[in-house]
Parts: sequence; C-alpha cells; structure tokens
Amino acid sequence: MIDDLFHEALRSSLDHCVKCTICETACPVSNVTPLFPGPKYAGPQAERYRALGQSQDESSVDYCSGCGLCTMACPQGVKIAELNAHARHTVKQRTGISLRDRLIARPTVVGRLGTPVAPIANAMLQARPARVLAERVLGIHRDAPLPRFAGRRFRTWARHRQAPGTGTKIVYFHGCGTEYYEPDVGEKVVAVLEHNGFRVEIPEQDCCGLPLQSNGLFEDARKYVLRLARSLAPHARDGTLIVGNATSCTLMVKREGREILGLEHDPDLALVSRQMYDVCELLLELHGRGELRLDFQPVEEVVAYHAPCQQQGHWIGKPALELLALVPGLDVRELDARCCGIGGTYGLKREKYQIAMDAGADLFDQVEASGARVVACDSETCRWQIEHATRRPSVHPIEFLHQAYRL
Amino acid sequence: MLSADALVIGGGATGAGVAWDAALRGLDVVLVERGDLATGTSGRFHGLLHSGGRYAVKDPAAADECVRENGVVRDVAADCVEDTGGLFVTTPFDDPAYADRFAAGCRTTGVPCEEIEPAQALREEPRLNPGISRAFRVPDASIDVWKLVWALARGAQDRGARVLPYHEVVAVHRSGDQVHGARVRNARTGTEMDVEAAVTISASGAWAGRIAAMAGIDGVHVMPGRGIMIAMNHRLVNTVVNRCQMPTDGDIIVPIHTVSVIGTTDVPTDDPDDHTVRPEEVDAMLEEGERLVPGFKRARALRVWTGVRPLFEDRKENGGATDTREVTRAHALLDHRERDGVAGFLTITGGKLTTYRLMAQDTVDAACRQLGNARPCTTSTERLPGSEDGEQYRIGERLGRRELRLSDDQLICECELITRRRVEDAIRRRGTSDLDDLRRLLRLGMGPCQGGFCIYRAAGILHGLDGIGTPDANAGLLDYVRERWKGVWPVLYGDQLRQARLDEWIFQGVLDIEHLQ
Amino acid sequence: MSASLRYDAVVVGAGVAGLTAATRLAESGARVCVLAKGVGSTHLAPGTVDVLGYTPDRVEHPAAALPEFIAAHSDHPYALIGTDAIAPALQWFAARIERGPRPGYRYTGDLDRNHLLPTAVGAIRPSALVPETMAAGDARSTAPVCVVGLRVLRDFHATLCAGNIRRAGIDARAVEVEIDVGRVEANAVGLARRFDDESFRAAFVARLALLLRPGERVALPAILGLRDPHGAWSDVQRRLGRDVFEIPTLPPSAPGMRVYNALLAALRAAGGRLVLGAEVTDVEREGDRVTAVRAATSGHDTIYRAGWIVLATGGFGSGAIELGSDWAASEMILGLPLQGMPMPGEARFAADYFAHQPMAAVGVAVDSSLRARETDNVYVAGAALPGAVPWREGSGEGIALATGHFAAQAVLEREGATATA
Repeated sequence: MIDDLFHEALRSSLDHCVKCTICETACPVSNVTPLFPGPKYAGPQAERYRALGQSQDESSVDYCSGCGLCTMACPQGVKIAELNAHARHTVKQRTGISLRDRLIARPTVVGRLGTPVAPIANAMLQARPARVLAERVLGIHRDAPLPRFAGRRFRTWARHRQAPGTGTKIVYFHGCGTEYYEPDVGEKVVAVLEHNGFRVEIPEQDCCGLPLQSNGLFEDARKYVLRLARSLAPHARDGTLIVGNATSCTLMVKREGREILGLEHDPDLALVSRQMYDVCELLLELHGRGELRLDFQPVEEVVAYHAPCQQQGHWIGKPALELLALVPGLDVRELDARCCGIGGTYGLKREKYQIAMDAGADLFDQVEASGARVVACDSETCRWQIEHATRRPSVHPIEFLHQAYRL
Repeated sequence: MLSADALVIGGGATGAGVAWDAALRGLDVVLVERGDLATGTSGRFHGLLHSGGRYAVKDPAAADECVRENGVVRDVAADCVEDTGGLFVTTPFDDPAYADRFAAGCRTTGVPCEEIEPAQALREEPRLNPGISRAFRVPDASIDVWKLVWALARGAQDRGARVLPYHEVVAVHRSGDQVHGARVRNARTGTEMDVEAAVTISASGAWAGRIAAMAGIDGVHVMPGRGIMIAMNHRLVNTVVNRCQMPTDGDIIVPIHTVSVIGTTDVPTDDPDDHTVRPEEVDAMLEEGERLVPGFKRARALRVWTGVRPLFEDRKENGGATDTREVTRAHALLDHRERDGVAGFLTITGGKLTTYRLMAQDTVDAACRQLGNARPCTTSTERLPGSEDGEQYRIGERLGRRELRLSDDQLICECELITRRRVEDAIRRRGTSDLDDLRRLLRLGMGPCQGGFCIYRAAGILHGLDGIGTPDANAGLLDYVRERWKGVWPVLYGDQLRQARLDEWIFQGVLDIEHLQ
Repeated sequence: MSASLRYDAVVVGAGVAGLTAATRLAESGARVCVLAKGVGSTHLAPGTVDVLGYTPDRVEHPAAALPEFIAAHSDHPYALIGTDAIAPALQWFAARIERGPRPGYRYTGDLDRNHLLPTAVGAIRPSALVPETMAAGDARSTAPVCVVGLRVLRDFHATLCAGNIRRAGIDARAVEVEIDVGRVEANAVGLARRFDDESFRAAFVARLALLLRPGERVALPAILGLRDPHGAWSDVQRRLGRDVFEIPTLPPSAPGMRVYNALLAALRAAGGRLVLGAEVTDVEREGDRVTAVRAATSGHDTIYRAGWIVLATGGFGSGAIELGSDWAASEMILGLPLQGMPMPGEARFAADYFAHQPMAAVGVAVDSSLRARETDNVYVAGAALPGAVPWREGSGEGIALATGHFAAQAVLEREGATATA
C-alpha cells in the first residue's frame, strides 16, 4: 500500500493544474490514439474523482507510456506523469498483472535466462514462428524490437579488467541494458572515464526496478530500487559521484523511484539520487571547468541526435549534443521529435506496439529527412526502437567520444 | 388560472419534498418557486447529511430527528447520497473534556457513534491534524441537493404535479379567514397568473415571514442566519470531518463530489437575500481549516458562497434569543388555522436539509387534515426517481461511466466530466436557455477552471441547438462570467489566481467577450 | 560538485519575452541558456501580436494612440522603455518568423493600423501584427463570411461566431464540415497536425467546397497546419479559390505553437540552449550581483553561472509571483520588491468583473532600463513587469516582444561598456 501521506502530497500538486492543455500537446500517445484520453485527463483531472480505498474501471490509464514529457512541459508544476503512474498502479491492483508484464518487467530474470544460451535465444527471438507464438501466448508483439543477448555479461568483464590505481574515484551504475545486451557500451564508458582521469569502481548491482514500476508492480519495484541503493550507497558516502549511461535507469534513481514509489525518506536512496549523474551530464560539467580532455581525433560522420524522453526528464537539457559538438568532423543534426514511442517495455506489447510506432513516426521521418547515417541516442530501448523503425544503426553518444579519443 | 388541491410556495428541499409527499397521497399539487429550484437555502449549504452528532449535546431534539431521517434518506434518495461516513475529532485546539460529553450525548439521543483510535482516523484520513487525541465515527454523509430536489420534483411531476420554477408569488389570496391561493408572476415573461388552491403551503424557508405577511399574518419571525462556505479544489478528506466541540464557526469539512467544503459562519442579518462575504469570515474559515487539516491555507480554494439559514423564532410565544446559534435547529410547522384562525394556510420553516422528508410529512399531514384526506405518508419507503436500485452515489461514478464512453461522446466540461450528450439532453429536457440552470443541473463550470473552457463550449451548443439567439447567448456568457467572479474573488489567491489569470486571457484576450455587441 | 556550467546570460522563462531576449542576446554572440520550468504562454495565446487594442476605447492606430496612452500610464512598460522601442522589436519578430523553421509563413501589419479580426465568439478584436493566415478576416472588409465548424472540434462554435460577426455589420453564416479524424473529439492543435498533411487537406476541402457560396470568404478555426502553416493555408486557399482565414480559439493554440517553434529555431540557430523542466528556485549573490541561478533538476540541483540574468517568468498566471492566503505577494525566485501592490487591508479585487482590479497591474519593480531594483545585473521582461493590464488593453505580445528585445539591448549595451572599459 502506497504511503498515503506521500500520495496526498502528490495529489496536492493537482491544485496547480489550470487545465491549460499544454501537457496534451506534449503527449506522444494521446496525439496518435484516442485510447488514451490524455495526460491532463488521466492525471490531475481524474485524480479529483479518486478516493483512497475506492477504485473504478480506468483501464485507459494503462495506455500512458510513462514518458514524462507532460510533467516536463507543464508550466505550473503538476506532477502529471507521477499521478498517472499511481493511477496505473491502483488499476493494476484491481485487475491484476499479466504474466507477460511480470516477465518483461524483470530484465535481470530474462537476462540471466538468455545469456548462457544466447545464440539459441537470439535465433529464436528472430524466428518468425517463435515470435508469432510469443505474441499469441505472451502478448509480445511479433515485430516488437527485442534486443539480442550479448552472450556475456558486463560484470564478467568488470571483474576481470585491470583497473588503474590512481585517479578520482567514481562509481559506475551500468544498468541491465549494458549488463546483458550491450556490454561493449559499458566498456567504452569506462574507457572514456579512465581517459579523463577517473578511477572507476563497479560494485555489485542489480536492476533499478524501472520496468516493474512502469508496469504497476510497485512493491517489487521498491525492493529493487532500494536494493540497488544499498549496493551503491556505501561507495558514495564519502561524496563519490555515481555515473550511468542508461538515462532511463539513472532517472529512476535520481527521481522517479523517489517520487513515484514514495521513497523520499530512505537515506541511502536520497544519497545515491543526489550523487547520480548521467555520463554526458558529468562530462559536460567537467568541460565547463576546463577539465575534459579535448584530445579528439576527427570522426567523419553525419549523425542525428535524439534525446530520449527519460533523458529529457533529467531536466538538464541535452548535454550529449554539446559534447558531440566538440568532436571534429562530426556533423550533428539535432532532431526535434517528441518520442520514439517505445516507452521502455510499452511498445513491446501486442496491444501497444502500433501505438508506439505511430507515436514515433514523426521521429522516424525526421531521421530519414536528416540525411544521417547513424542516430545517437542515450537510452538503449530507444536505440532498439529507432534501429527497428529506421533500419539505421543507433548508438550511445559516448561511442563517438570513445572513437574520437581513439581508445 | 390554475387550480389545485395544494399550492406549495418554495422550491427548495422542503417544498419539493412536500410536493412529492402530497402527490403520492393523490393530491393535485402546484409548486411555485421564484428562481430555479433549490436556489434558496437548499442550494447554498455544504451538502451534509447529518448523523445528528453535531446536535447530540446542544440540541437533542434536532439530533433525534437527524438520527431517524439519516437512515431513511440514504434509502429513498440513495442516488443523491454518498456514504462518506463522518468523524468527530478532538484537535489540540478543542476542549478535551467535550469528547466524553459528546459520546454521552450520542448515547442519549441514539446517534450511532463508535470511538476509534486516532491512529486509525489518521490512516483513513492522512491529511488530518496529526495531533488529534480522540476520534469518533458517525454516519454522516454528503448529499447532492440539486439531484435531490430535481428527483423530488420529477417524482411529483410523474404523479401529475405541476412544478413551476421562475414563478414568483406577488400576492397571497385571502378572503376573510380563508387563504385560497396566490398570484404568481412568470419571471421570464412577466405575465401574471392566479393559482387557486384549497390549501396553500409556504415552504419558503428564510422568506417565510414575508409570505406570511402577504397573507396578513404577523409574528412569523424567521431570523436569517447567514454563513459562508468555501469549496476547496479537491477532496482533502473523503470523510465528513467535524471538530469535537460545541458547534461553532468553520468546524466541518464536507467532501461533496470532487470538492471539500468548509463551513460555516453565523451572522444575523435582516435580509435573506444578503450574500455579503466579509474578508474576516474568509480568513476565519481558512484558519479553522488549517487546524483540522494542516496545509489547508496553501491548498487551492475554488469559490465562496453564502447560505441563509431559516432560524425560526415564534415571536408569539417568547421574547427570543439574539444569538442565532442559540435557536433550535428543529423545524417548525405553523398551522395558521390553529395559530391565527386563518384556514387554508400552513408555514413550514426552520429545520435542516437532513430532515426535509420529516418536515414534508408533518406538513402534508396537517394539510390533509384541513382537506379531509386520510391517506398516510409513504415517503419513508417510496424511492425517488433515479434511486430505485438503492445504490448510493460513489465519487468515482462519473469517471467510471466516462471510461465506457471515451470513444463516442465529447467532454464539454472536462473538470466535471460532463459529456455533450448530457448537455444537449439537459437543454432539450428542461427547455432551458440559461447557462446558470445548466450549472446547477449538471455542475457545469463548477470545477477548477470555473468555466474558463466549458462556458464558451456550452454557450455555443445552446446557440447551435436553436436554443437561444445571439444576444441572449452573449448575455448568458457575460452574466455567467460576472456571476462566477462574485464567488471567486473573495478567495482568490495562490493557484486559483493562476487559473483566474488564464481565464482572463481566454475570456478577454482570445474571445474578447467584453466587446461583444 | 560545484557549479561549472557557465553562460554569459541566463534567461528564466520560455515565453515570448524570454525567447526574444535570449535569441537577441545569442545573435549578438553571447552564450545564452534559457531555463524554464515548463512551456510558456505561447501555446495558450492566439498568436497575434497585440500592441495596443483598447484604451479603453478601441484603438485603430496604435502609433497615434501610444503617446497619449503612456502619458496617462506613466508606470506602464511602454512608458518605461519608450514607444520607440516597440517597432524594432516587431520588425525583429517578423523577421524571425519568416526565417523558419519552414519558409513562407509570415506576419503582416504594423503600428500604423490595427487589424480588426473576429474572435471565436465573433467579437471584433484589434491586433497590430497578425499571421498571414488570419489577415483576410479583417472586419473592414465587407465580403460575406462563411464560418466553418467541425463537430469534432468542441472548442469552436461556428454559429455563435457567425451570429456575432453579423452583429458587427458583416454578412455571415455558419456551416459544419463532417470529416472523420479517427476520434470523437480533437483540439485545434491535433487538427492542425492533420492539416499539415496534403491528402487530409484535399479531403477536407472537397467537402467544404460543396457548402460554399460565391463571394464568400472562409473562416476556419486556427487549424491551418502546425509545421507548415504557409503551405497549408495557401493550399487551402488555392483549392477553394477564395480568401481563407483562420480564427484563434480556446487553447491549445496552433498559431501560438508556431511562434514558439520559430523563436526556438532562431534561438538554436544563434547557438542558444533551452533547458525545459529546470525550475529556477534560488540564486547565488555577491552583493547586488547575482552570480548564478540554481535549478531544481532531477536528483540534484544544477547551478548555472551567468553574468546577466533576464527574468521573463510571467506574473501571477505562472506562479512567478504568488499571492498567498494571507494576501501578501512575493516574487518567488529572488524575492524582488514588487510594485503596485495594494496596502495591507486594502482590497485586492473589485466585485465587478469588468471594473479595474487592484491586483491586475502588480509586477516586479524595475528602473527605466528594466533592471530589477536592488540588483545590478537582473533584468525583467514580459508579464512579470508592473503597470499593465495586458488582457484588457490588448498589449500582451507587444509588451513581451518590446521588453524582451529591450532588456537584451540593455544587457548588450552594458556588456559593450564593460568590454571597452
């Protein structure tokens, strides 16, 4: 049961709503489907009709993708996305949560199962008959952009690597995407940090719980994010910063875990939240102090940059864009689309896949029109969606820095 | 000219209740009301269906009535009632000794009352003052008075009664010692008409003295007691919360529909149409609210309004107290044949909304005695239209209903979840061309935006349905905006001021209604 | 981690005033960052540039009316900055609109003569600069008007609009076009997005054409495209073979969003940044100089150092200035002194809605260069300024543009003076 006093605090933000509809213009989902009545409706407006202990049929709330653009656009400070998340949780408590949602909300479970048998698992995930079956049985859309298992875990590399003995200590929070699907990205992040004089510590860590939260499994999400906080906090109590490359996951730790799950008072989570940085955010601040190494070699490439919704949710602008501008030879085109549509696990679902693709259509068109060969994007689930929809490679911005440093 | 067995003057809960009761007993009834139904006291109070706890110590007669009627109204008017439950809590600002007197008073008067742990009360109502030391559960509820009055009116109409809003009594017909009806003027058209009736029942609440005077009867002294109420933007509590102390100003917060209402003050006035809101009253309500719900003063206030209680004092019998709180809240039925030697005329006044049915019963019993009709009252068991299934209203109802219609009906008033179909039906069914009528009927424009978005839409729909011509649509828009402002500005601060600025931009900037011709 | 993001200027607020000031500064070579807790009022405004509409009589010629107006309102922003500051700001704005993001869309008009355009309820409203997509609605033209409604757009009511246009002396009637947009209700911006699509336009026009009469000009709600309004409008005009104009209606506003998109593109083209969601909650000071602003960003605050601060945060409507339940008001970031507040105990509001409202003209006190009192380097622009009642005077965008432009100029002049010193 959500801490009721906390829920009341969230509810109070609905008082700021002046019904202006700006959030509706920002919502990528309600603009492409009437199945979601829109953030103003589902959040501050419907909240006045909700009472603790009562619930009614509000299945339309489940069509919110949790992107958070509404909260960001709101000029009055209404916690719209957070209210929606709470409403979804209440709905799910009433209707129950499907096996599919329980499964895809646990990337560590999926990751641990798939990694040892990666070649087979990957083959099956690409095989049409298996996908059709998965769609019928589990409800995962046959065309949904599922990632490929790397067949090795990032942690294995981390444990065996030769870490430098000197440098400013920093803690690396790598996230499940890096762990099971993109360990090479993690290696590059570490290399770039070390190149800039950091001594990177990679403590034991697990999932931040974001997919659990966005699927309404609040109790489980709390366990995961608190466990993660307990893993990271001891390494950061002396003021050490924590850096991550998965912008959805770092946002979960920075803000969503606390604001949506009502964990404002946990001291470990408060600590790691305060000291959590997105890797581009960190490098840009270094640059502001004149401490970023600028020994970049040219990278000749036309690259389009898309800031994922949950990177924008950090509310720090687009530091990746400014970093990429430092790399000679790189022709960076800023894309101005709202959302790729994937919403983490949202766009994988049979009933939401097409909505996600429609929501992302504007972005995909802009990628086409940009003339870029590759798309830079900070969030792995967004990269997989963009690759799926545009047939162009999509990489984390850090890869360009890594390449420019010639590491 | 109309003729009937009974003419009822006053379309509040009492008058409508009388019409319903009388119609059920086979009487031919005409009801006249000078404005829209429920625009007197009934429509201007906080919506509390009393458990009687408030009167358990101070006014046992009133408590007793509430106990009985609370249960009956929950059944016959179920659709109008939300079973919020009620709490009496002792805050750090209340005399701790009162709690035991309260419990004892409840026992004596039969008000169902259960003491609970303050921690339990706080679990149920997290916004309450964490310093509460005692808590009692009682069966308070909140009631939608417009739904109630319209259900009563419809029920009466279904049985042949004629219900005439916007008909003001301009003269009471009396020949010698017999009152035989009244002359009414249609406020919309200006035409006048006589209504002949064997019995005339004045259910005119705070205006009862004036109506009685029109019949040449003195001494019906109703002391209007004016009080303000403030609606807060959302339900800070979902239970009716009372301060456990002697009744005083601002000691109740009532969750009704999507708002919570704090009330009230008690200022004697001469004029039942006095709607002054004094800044000190507003400040006092906010202070009291803060004591019950810390943070109240930072919460968003939507609007303030006044209601005038009809406090009856029979000047024929005693010298009269001056503090309106001292006057009994029990109702007073005056059979003028017995009291003044004038037949065919009854006055029912005083009382409270919770006991409307009992007031109506006593009144119709007396009327039937004068008419020689022996039919018994059935209103304690006969369910009102809309409440046939006995299912009480739930706050999430509109939201749940809307969920079913997301893809096939537009929302016109988004704050209050009112669909286009509902607006069009209301216009057609009531034949109304008045945005204010729609507001009362549907709660149109009563949400946070106070009509900023929906009033233009509703005016457009009204106009488009050939309901009204352009000048009337313009007047309706302008009147609505002006009237709404009267209830907004005395509590305009914080978030509601942000809203008011946006509404100004819409009405004066985008639409420029001030310069309509 | 200590603050390390440094800019020459930080502008707080992403409305017209803020984006104007920021872009102007960036175009002059300053490194500028705009911090905004959300999108500004552009999305809610009709998209016209109103300089002076009512004094309270209707103003036909703003340039002629301004001198008398500022003589009578000496604490009005126009009086502070001087009426000469208005025209350059309008020209600057018009040029930025023309530049993009898509070419062709332009504003028309000047200070000599207001356009007189019908509103969504059919009142006639004066505006100095209007988008080309609205100009044909001028009430000085006697050509009859066919007002077009769509049932799906509950925010626009053609019959009421036409009814009032008739009362203004212009022959007008209303029609309704039935078109399936895949949902039962839409707002103006949702429809505007559809109008960016040529095949949708063609289908719409085909249905509309059947309903029109010869000689009529066509009034649509403001849905003529979001990305490419020039393309959408000229296409519809060409297909119908007659004048077409759009009428702004309830928010969200497509013409307003076009302004936002154009100003944002101009800001980016000049190298400026916008950070949305960054609510500025505090500042760091050294004496009367503000040295940095603190934004409440996710997890930890972010500190932005800057030599100049422009406060374009809006007034009471955005919560930049708050009136408490104790009837005292404060500017929320720096606690700057306010001007125009009634004394304690005096009424804040009048009971008559259309009467003068004491709270209406309250704002942040500034000197004649728009510098906030008690500061050395904080400038104020837009609705945060005192002395104006923009929604009644019809001066909102005029004030935002002129003061945003002027504040940037004031900063540049001091920057230049510092540079040469």
